[in-house]
Amino acid sequence: MSHDAVPYTALSAEAALVKPELMRAVEKVLDSGRYILGPECAEFEREFAGYCGVGFAAGVANGTDALHLVLRGLGLRAGDEVITVPNSFIASASAVALAGARPVFIDIGDDGNMDPAKIEAAISRRTRAIMPVHLTGRPAKMKEILAITRRHGLFVLEDAAQAIGATLDGRRMGSWGDAACFSLHPLKNLHAFGDAGIVTTNNPEVQARLVQSRNHGLANREQCDFWSFNSRLDEIQAAMLRVQLRHLDAWTDRRRTLALRYNELLRPYVGVPDEGPGERCVFQTYIVRAKRRDELKHYLGKNGVETLIHYATPIHLQPAARDLGYVAKDFPKTMEYVGEILTLPLYHTLTHAQQDRVVECIASFYK
Amino acid sequence: MQVPYNYLDQQFADVEDYFQDLRKLVATGEFTLGPFVEAFEKKFAAYVGAKHAIGTNTGTGALILSLKAVGVGPGKEVITVANTFIATVGAIVAAGGRPVFVDCDDRCQIDVSAIEGVITKNTAAILPVHWAGSPPDMDKILEIANRRGIPVVEDACQAVGAKINGRCAGTFGKTGTFSMHPIKPLNVWGDGGIIVTDDDKIAKFLRLYRNHGMVDRDHIEIWGVNDRLQPFQAVVGSRVLDTVEGLIEKRIHNAGLLDEGLKGLEAMISRPRRLAGYREVYQLYLVTTKRRDEFVRFLISRGIEAKVHYPIPIHLQNAARNLGYKRGDFPVCERQADEVVTLPAHQYISGEQIAYTLSVIREFYAG
Repeated sequence: MSHDAVPYTALSAEAALVKPELMRAVEKVLDSGRYILGPECAEFEREFAGYCGVGFAAGVANGTDALHLVLRGLGLRAGDEVITVPNSFIASASAVALAGARPVFIDIGDDGNMDPAKIEAAISRRTRAIMPVHLTGRPAKMKEILAITRRHGLFVLEDAAQAIGATLDGRRMGSWGDAACFSLHPLKNLHAFGDAGIVTTNNPEVQARLVQSRNHGLANREQCDFWSFNSRLDEIQAAMLRVQLRHLDAWTDRRRTLALRYNELLRPYVGVPDEGPGERCVFQTYIVRAKRRDELKHYLGKNGVETLIHYATPIHLQPAARDLGYVAKDFPKTMEYVGEILTLPLYHTLTHAQQDRVVECIASFYK
Repeated sequence: MQVPYNYLDQQFADVEDYFQDLRKLVATGEFTLGPFVEAFEKKFAAYVGAKHAIGTNTGTGALILSLKAVGVGPGKEVITVANTFIATVGAIVAAGGRPVFVDCDDRCQIDVSAIEGVITKNTAAILPVHWAGSPPDMDKILEIANRRGIPVVEDACQAVGAKINGRCAGTFGKTGTFSMHPIKPLNVWGDGGIIVTDDDKIAKFLRLYRNHGMVDRDHIEIWGVNDRLQPFQAVVGSRVLDTVEGLIEKRIHNAGLLDEGLKGLEAMISRPRRLAGYREVYQLYLVTTKRRDEFVRFLISRGIEAKVHYPIPIHLQNAARNLGYKRGDFPVCERQADEVVTLPAHQYISGEQIAYTLSVIREFYAG
């Protein structure tokens, strides 16, 4: 790649900024001899819950397990339904399938997230929960969603995998639903150095169930109260996450500044992700809507600008979803959206020069 | 004198070599699967003598994925033992199956003569456990399984390096599963697991299923999970693997000293029967004794950290209520649960500590 190339990620450069702190954190865990469910995980949970403004947080092995374990805790039976969107990472839907229920999809609105106007029609006798996704780090329309779910007494699980630090009307995502799940995967704004996840909730029963279900259903070393498996957040990852959390706000501010700069510079050429009223987005991914998207992607690639598509195939059209019986035209907004989206490089170490290079390439493509 | 059960602060007292390796990982930013995981998988496969190795997030995950791979699901039964860690059985339930227990024998291993009696048309797998690091009678198990056309999944979570006539535990069944939890001889700095198999199709399924069913970034072939070995842990595991034979030999040596020293006390304290040609790795050095609780308290009062694995057999756990078993169903297993004790015999226990342990044991029985 040439010297003016703009890669999609800069994970090692980001890690280098805090490497001495990370290594100290790792060393402290090693010296303690305590590698699983010890003080680092407990402290990280306390700090994370405080950050999101909720009572509790429970660390787990990854974001998918976070969703899976919360849904299992609802005691879903075969045939029960969970409403979510087809425009998300596969794990939103597969967690429902894993928990033994059926994902029911509804279309998205102009913001790329769940369209609250589509919810009522999708609610059936078997609906047990609703899972809005704050895709790209943009808050879903939680006020409208909660107004409906309260009327129907449905459990609300926020898929906040991409939304750490995002707020709606000043209130953090992860504090709106009955529970919320975060991924701490390396590509997330707050990330571990491997897989990790965490659940937030204000409900002590949800928390107690998780603390037990992530550890085989064990009440203590000897007594197992219900069948479960193993999905724990490693001490080492928790210790490194605590380091990352201390820098998160600064990194998020930088990321937002860059994203808003992109918005202004790219507005003449492509649809840019402006924030809606009351929204503070964290731009986990920076996604534009582009005409002749595939051509543009190819052109950018040729010029050293690495881009991705999140996600090219909506979940309802995946081979895995065949048995759910959906067809493409069931969700026209989603289909329109996936044909136009393109994710540009955005990370807090991205330079203005790199950003200008991306903008230049896009401008010259549309000339 | 203190005889501690945990030794991790000693094993990783010098971490510089590990940090060298980890710096290489951090420099690449390869934090999800990738070359470090692949290299470790190859190295581990060669170590146990299997064609494929597939890293997972935990030993429990290795079990769940293996059971899925051989077709366990709702309505299917899996035959195993009730004297094991809860994860063996939790994994069966997590895979959608129903656990069916058989009793154990005087080696604390699955009673192979009881297996045929519980096979039904719904039996989807036999799940023998290499309990405590000691192989069960795999020849007999395979003879039954092959004759009845039932796949075998080995729970070798405690048995890395264990062998029967030179053949490694984990290489007898369709798949073999290993845990790399911190308190295993091949350990990492948190949770980790790995599966071995010679079957190409099963290996392909496992690689898909552990990573969301993703053929590539955009195509999801099956509903999957996130159950990946973390590169961070693969790096650690790879270095520990270089030393594991030495650690195992030390455990075997210590077990030999205890076996020798306990001779003459057979009326009070007995050891599992040992078989010629079996290489036991003594993940747990088990003995059984009457007045067990008193015995354990006495040892602990003298600084010897004896443990009980486990006082409640799984068929009598609260979680197992739905399975309909009762006390008396597995008399050998239940008697062992009342009498079993684990003595510290790990690689950091010295000859003096063993001599001390033996003297305290003799004192207990003399008193």
